[in-house]
Amino acid sequence: MRLLLDLRNVSELADREQLAREADEHGIWGVVVTGPRGGECVEASAIATATHHVSIVVDVDGNDVHPTTLAEEISVLDQITKRRTMIIFRGPSRSRTSLAALLGGLPVEGVILSPPPAQASIPVYSPEEIPETNLPEDLTQLAAIVDEYRDSQAAFLIVSWERSIKQLARHAVGRAASTDFPQMVADMADQIDPIDQ
Amino acid sequence: MDMGIGLWCLQSTATNPRSFGQAYQELAEDARMAEDNGIHSLWLSEHHAYYDGYCPALMPAAAAALAATESIQIGTGVLLLPLHEPHRVANAANLLNEQSSGRFHLGVGMGYRPIEFEIKQRDMSQRLKLMNAGLDALHSTTQTPTWVGISSEKAAERAGRRGLGLFISGAFSKDVVNTLIRAHRTAWEKSDPNQDTPPPVGLLRNLWIVDSPAERRQALNWVRSSYLVYAGLGWGADNTGVDFVSQIETSMDEVEKSATVGSAEEIAAELDGYDVDLVVCRIGYDQPPRTALTEVIERIGRELAPLVKDSGVKL
Repeated sequence: MRLLLDLRNVSELADREQLAREADEHGIWGVVVTGPRGGECVEASAIATATHHVSIVVDVDGNDVHPTTLAEEISVLDQITKRRTMIIFRGPSRSRTSLAALLGGLPVEGVILSPPPAQASIPVYSPEEIPETNLPEDLTQLAAIVDEYRDSQAAFLIVSWERSIKQLARHAVGRAASTDFPQMVADMADQIDPIDQ
Repeated sequence: MDMGIGLWCLQSTATNPRSFGQAYQELAEDARMAEDNGIHSLWLSEHHAYYDGYCPALMPAAAAALAATESIQIGTGVLLLPLHEPHRVANAANLLNEQSSGRFHLGVGMGYRPIEFEIKQRDMSQRLKLMNAGLDALHSTTQTPTWVGISSEKAAERAGRRGLGLFISGAFSKDVVNTLIRAHRTAWEKSDPNQDTPPPVGLLRNLWIVDSPAERRQALNWVRSSYLVYAGLGWGADNTGVDFVSQIETSMDEVEKSATVGSAEEIAAELDGYDVDLVVCRIGYDQPPRTALTEVIERIGRELAPLVKDSGVKL
């Protein structure tokens, strides 16, 4: 399971950029961003410019927009992010089908995206497919929650977290990835290299 | 008069194929370089469903250029408004300006390629109606500086009546340009006699700074080649109203004739005759090697911009 840090409710762009940089630095798999309707890829582009490695998961509103227009925005974004784009799509299922096909390089009603996405295919999920949770400060509770989602075979987990990103990475990324996570190593690291909150 | 550069189309053309990833990376680099050399603005251009990836989504591209810079203005020259949902455009423009402390300019135009209207299920015969409805929506939802790309007096008058800036196409003669500007100004004065600051006028110009006859010939060949790339957009579409194929040599001759190529002093003298606020130097051709492009960006900023800063009108 991969962790996605939720930036959608962080009000200031500077704070979102800083958190994204920290997620980038400490190996969080992705950050979730959004924007006003039509501005989602603008926000994602700004966050991508501030980062190098972290995936940019864009929560987009697909209502009242032509799917080709949305696909063009996302394809350009994927060029800007250098293959780091993933989509959470809110909108009609027919539009989602068209969008996913276009972002997979397939023609839809004779249209093929140009430029194409940088990735072979940009993943498109619905909100229901990715669980979300607020992770608690208490590390024992955090471990139990991460274990529960991981063991339920979730591919991704969107997390809200208000403490140090390095602490989230130290205690949750490896645990989310593996049932063999050695908690003792993370706990000893906290003693050897304490993290300022 | 301010100096901008354009048009960044982010293509990978048959004349100069390259990776799209490189094109978008160089957009940010070019914007930073232009900023470092004191250039006022960098302008992007839009088309859809063309083989070379001509940028179909300017707002994310503008966001990348704005995020990579601190002071340069970034504009769309132009976004094809009838092909978009106006409220989404307004939201994106507002966000770009919020994120960049007001450095984004929204240039809009009508579009002319039937295929672009077809893929968005829009009726091209209704493009003026769509354009006006879009401008009405923008007026009520965004304070973003808005420019209208025009190529006729009627269009200039419409922009003037709305109090919007003009973005004038690159291939017109000085007489035509000044006629368009007069039409814009007169319509603006009639529509709102109490305003004292007219909406700005931007002029796109094929332009290159050179030092020798050989460099001049090379630059003019790049201008001709750029028209070939541009004309391809017409070849790929029926019913544009322009016979690109039979007119190609004549058109390339005309584009060459309208190009402003010379020393910085010669170009400044030529531009002095235009009553415009902004000249967008059209240097975003696909043929020049990268070293030539970076050199001309530096020279526009360091040599030409100081010479013309008191000409025309200051933005």
